[in-house]
Amino acid sequence: MTDQLVEDIRGALRVVIDPELGKNIVDLGFVYDIAVADGAVRITMTATTPGCPATSFLKEGVQAAALIVPGVASVDVAMTFEPAWTPDLIEAGVRASLGFAAVN
Amino acid sequence: MIGGSISRWTMTYFAAALTWLLAALALMVAGIGHPAADLAAPDTLVLVHVVCIGWLSVAMCGALFQFVPVLVAQPLFGERWVLPALVLLTAGLVSLLAGFMALGARLPSAPWLLPLGALLLVAGFGLVVVDLGLTAWRRPTGPARFVLVGLASLCATAAFGAVFAFALAGWAGRMGDAVLARGIPLHAIVGLGGWLTLTAMGVSYRLLSMFMLAPDVEDRKSRLTLAAGALAVAATVGGGAIAIGLELGLNIVLSIAALFGLACAALYGRDIAAIFRTRKRRHLELNMRMAMLSFASLAATGLMGTALVSTRTLPLHLGAFAFLAAFGWLSGLVLAKLYKIVAFLTWLETYGPVMGRAPTPRVQDLVAESRATKWFAIYYVSVWMGTLALLAAEPGAFRIAAAAMMIGVVGIVHEIIRIRRLEDVASTLRLPAGAVAPHLLFAKT
Repeated sequence: MTDQLVEDIRGALRVVIDPELGKNIVDLGFVYDIAVADGAVRITMTATTPGCPATSFLKEGVQAAALIVPGVASVDVAMTFEPAWTPDLIEAGVRASLGFAAVN
Repeated sequence: MIGGSISRWTMTYFAAALTWLLAALALMVAGIGHPAADLAAPDTLVLVHVVCIGWLSVAMCGALFQFVPVLVAQPLFGERWVLPALVLLTAGLVSLLAGFMALGARLPSAPWLLPLGALLLVAGFGLVVVDLGLTAWRRPTGPARFVLVGLASLCATAAFGAVFAFALAGWAGRMGDAVLARGIPLHAIVGLGGWLTLTAMGVSYRLLSMFMLAPDVEDRKSRLTLAAGALAVAATVGGGAIAIGLELGLNIVLSIAALFGLACAALYGRDIAAIFRTRKRRHLELNMRMAMLSFASLAATGLMGTALVSTRTLPLHLGAFAFLAAFGWLSGLVLAKLYKIVAFLTWLETYGPVMGRAPTPRVQDLVAESRATKWFAIYYVSVWMGTLALLAAEPGAFRIAAAAMMIGVVGIVHEIIRIRRLEDVASTLRLPAGAVAPHLLFAKT
């Protein structure tokens, strides 16, 4: 039941894109963890650049997208830059479509 | 600070700056100022200050109000000072230009116009320096250090300029007259080299790394680049002031500053090459490709300066040298980055608030790069043609090049307005439920 809810939330988060890369944040590897306990959801996520105005919008977008999933009572989003995001977190197929270099 | 906010008045600064750029180009097309007039003629002073204050400084200030908080991951110290600073800068520049026109007998004599303009400009730049300086000082690391040295250079540039304005009005005494007689190269070097160039370098480190997903330049390397630039500024201001005070020649001071300046440009080239080499996004967007042309122009400016000094022809071709620095390097970089920054900020303002609630376009969906490329190409080619026309002392050819530059800039401005109006976004994605169309001249959020 919990696993299914986590997958539903992960699916809902695909509406949130990184505006620069143009791909959803799940495929980009921005979502580090989704924890659920009695309908209370805690999402740990990252972004490419601390201090960028897009970061707060990403956080709010994740909260809004997760809240509309049936079974979710509350959402807490934690933004972290530890560990820092790197392109090797992107799903392989998406990384190729973005034209990324081999991770260096 | 996790995420910064959108600067409300950055678009207003950009609009004012682009208006001044078009005014400068109109003056050049009309043959007002250098090369039709002497470098020190009042008409040339009008043209130079429209370019350096109206266009480059106002655009730089608008960009810094948005990006210094990003550089240091701290909020802007005083958002409420931003618009008053623009009002003071605009009023000061208009007064200064009127003062120059009066000097050239294009307006009735009014000696008080220049000091009034200087006071208004010092007040406007003072607000900018305090606001950005206190913000950058909260975490003075990496590129923020360049901004701090740039702001210090802005203070020195404004101080020299204020002394000149009072001296031209006859209100500065013998010392003021001595500074006016010999300090103009110092004012120009610290303004173009210290304030505008070092600040553009600092911001470019972060912008290039951010948009190309490249690792930041090693702190030790960027520190060395900044040290060379800061020493060039210090040699110019400190050495220049001592030389003027002791009535010594300026040649040694200017030679030392030039050596440090060349070292700074070479080290910056090394740092930028490393960012491009280690970038993880291989595809280069239009703004990056065009920024590369401005870096090439900076390299060409350095080479031209070296060649002119070694052939002892720098005084003869100072106009061509300054033109390539102002329009090839600085204006080219600012125009390329404006194209990107306006699209990015417009996306944030329009689609950020509805993210997670509705599908949104990408930033790249707001621009039409294939259409914009030709305007940038026209701009850069005409800048290089204009430089050659100045070197060849062909004022007619220079005016034709300036007209071509104007066509390029009008095209770029048209593209920027289209971005602001979301005209290139597919209609199905343009305004999702809850999204509000942006205002052309300021951010609503």
